[in-house]
Amino acid sequence: MDKRESMWEAYLRRGLSRRSFLKGCVALTSLMGLSTDMVSKVVEAAETKPLPVVIWLHGHECTGCDESFIRSASPLASDLVLTNIALEYDHLLSAGQGEPFEHHLEATVQKYWGQYILAVEGAVATSDNGIYCMSGGKPFVDTLQRVAKGAAAIIAYGTCAVSGGIQAAKPNPTGSGGVSHYVGTKQVINVPGCPPIPEVMTGVVMHVALFGKLPTLDSENRPRQFYGNRIHDTCYRRPFFDAGMFADRYDDAGAKAGWCLYRLGCRGPETYNSCGNLRWYQGMSYPIQSGAACIGCSNAHFWDEGMSFSDRLPKYGPLGDIDTIGVAAAIATTAGVAIHGAASVIQRQKREEEEAREQGEHK
Amino acid sequence: MQTVPRRIYYLFSPFLRIFHWVMVDTIIVMFLTGILIGKPPEIMNLEPAQTMLLIDIIRKLHFLAAFIFCASLILRVYGFIINRGDRVFPRFWEGHFYAETVDVALHYRLLKKPHKCYLRNPLARMSYAFLYVLVTIEIFTGFAMYAMTNPFGIGGTLFGWVNVVLGGEMMTHLVHHYVAWGIILFATGHLYMVTRAEFMEGESEVSSMFAGSKILVHEPVDANEVLEPDKV
Repeated sequence: MDKRESMWEAYLRRGLSRRSFLKGCVALTSLMGLSTDMVSKVVEAAETKPLPVVIWLHGHECTGCDESFIRSASPLASDLVLTNIALEYDHLLSAGQGEPFEHHLEATVQKYWGQYILAVEGAVATSDNGIYCMSGGKPFVDTLQRVAKGAAAIIAYGTCAVSGGIQAAKPNPTGSGGVSHYVGTKQVINVPGCPPIPEVMTGVVMHVALFGKLPTLDSENRPRQFYGNRIHDTCYRRPFFDAGMFADRYDDAGAKAGWCLYRLGCRGPETYNSCGNLRWYQGMSYPIQSGAACIGCSNAHFWDEGMSFSDRLPKYGPLGDIDTIGVAAAIATTAGVAIHGAASVIQRQKREEEEAREQGEHK
Repeated sequence: MQTVPRRIYYLFSPFLRIFHWVMVDTIIVMFLTGILIGKPPEIMNLEPAQTMLLIDIIRKLHFLAAFIFCASLILRVYGFIINRGDRVFPRFWEGHFYAETVDVALHYRLLKKPHKCYLRNPLARMSYAFLYVLVTIEIFTGFAMYAMTNPFGIGGTLFGWVNVVLGGEMMTHLVHHYVAWGIILFATGHLYMVTRAEFMEGESEVSSMFAGSKILVHEPVDANEVLEPDKV
């Protein structure tokens, strides 16, 4: 374990051909969102760079992100884990267990201090000293902070790790929050989504692994190549939006015909993700394609917007939404000024009568 | 025949007046198209080719009106610089502002008989400042949504932070929508107040927005703000 092999050496050891190695590199290049003229750089890095050590921590979460990750098709998650990275610690994928497994975490942290990539799934529970999320007998928040100190890069996988996720929904009894708040000044790559797209997960970790630096990030520290477009702007149903053809219910003719789901509260116009262009499971489908409106799962606090996923505006019980209230307020204002106007006229008439009477008395 | 002496007070520069009427038109267009964008009309039983891209056109009208509005705002700023009468910011820093506000408010509540007259009374000034706050919110939230088609372009860099500050782009949509209703409510009240001042109190409120000057019998208390000091 002392001499860390490169990706090419891992291929050689497994008796894989140069051809399949190059094919893997080409696939990686496109997955990382890079142009094809970067292939030679990727090949170079894969030949020379030792496999990156990855520690994968699980916090306050449902393991759904792992479920997504293992469905990555190109590269296959198994290829990634076995030949592209050196995954040293992962609750779901590791064969080891129990105390030796926890010791291995400590050993890995010490041995590769400052070199390993830390991938985090799940929110950080902080209320009552973090006892709502215990792992290996220790509060997760403590483990995270200890391991994060020595990490070369931190990747927050999933909306929970990015902004707290459903655990952080009001009233947030466990005090859950995103990873970036608890790792000091360290830069965190946010990969939101519930879960993120499999190929996005593998693409980001491979980018860090091969180039040894972070991908270009946007203002919310999300990799730009995967979160640079709204789903609405990349949606294949967008022409129906522009044409004004909408589904109003999930069982009407519009829904059947595959028209735009905007009126059903689709969050595509507010959500940045690759669902529209990369899609899920080798481009098979994505929520809107399967007929369900986007719920904006890669948005921070998408669960706390004060309205149902199938509404575009919050409803206030019997008052209705802001448009109903607005019309009522406009009518009330108009009535109010009409009354005020009438009262003003009456007041002036009275005043004029008084003045006329006073003038009469003076004469 | 009795002659009544009147005095002309030049108040609003052409730049403010053009801006005002452009604002009226564009706000009407933006409000109507905005409501339609929020709740798009249903066009059933048609092929996309036959709908003439209705929502697309409505959105483009909205954006066009918004750009015209913002462009004319530049005129407003220019007028503010060159003409004293265009400066209608409420003078919070002057002590008598507060007493005068109470005075005018009591008058409008029909509790007080004729009040002192103003070229721009403190309540009106405050309502305009309020309107500019609403308009500023609309501009920032509007461009934040518009520019984020390309988050890394100039527009995204200039306005993208609004979405972060408001806690998500959905919130930007909601704020934009709610504040639009606020502007419409303001407009209703504003329309009434100026009409009332014009026809009941002899204040040239409506006509001055066309002609630029007020022709008044009485001497307004804030006349010194627009006249040259030596002419007061």
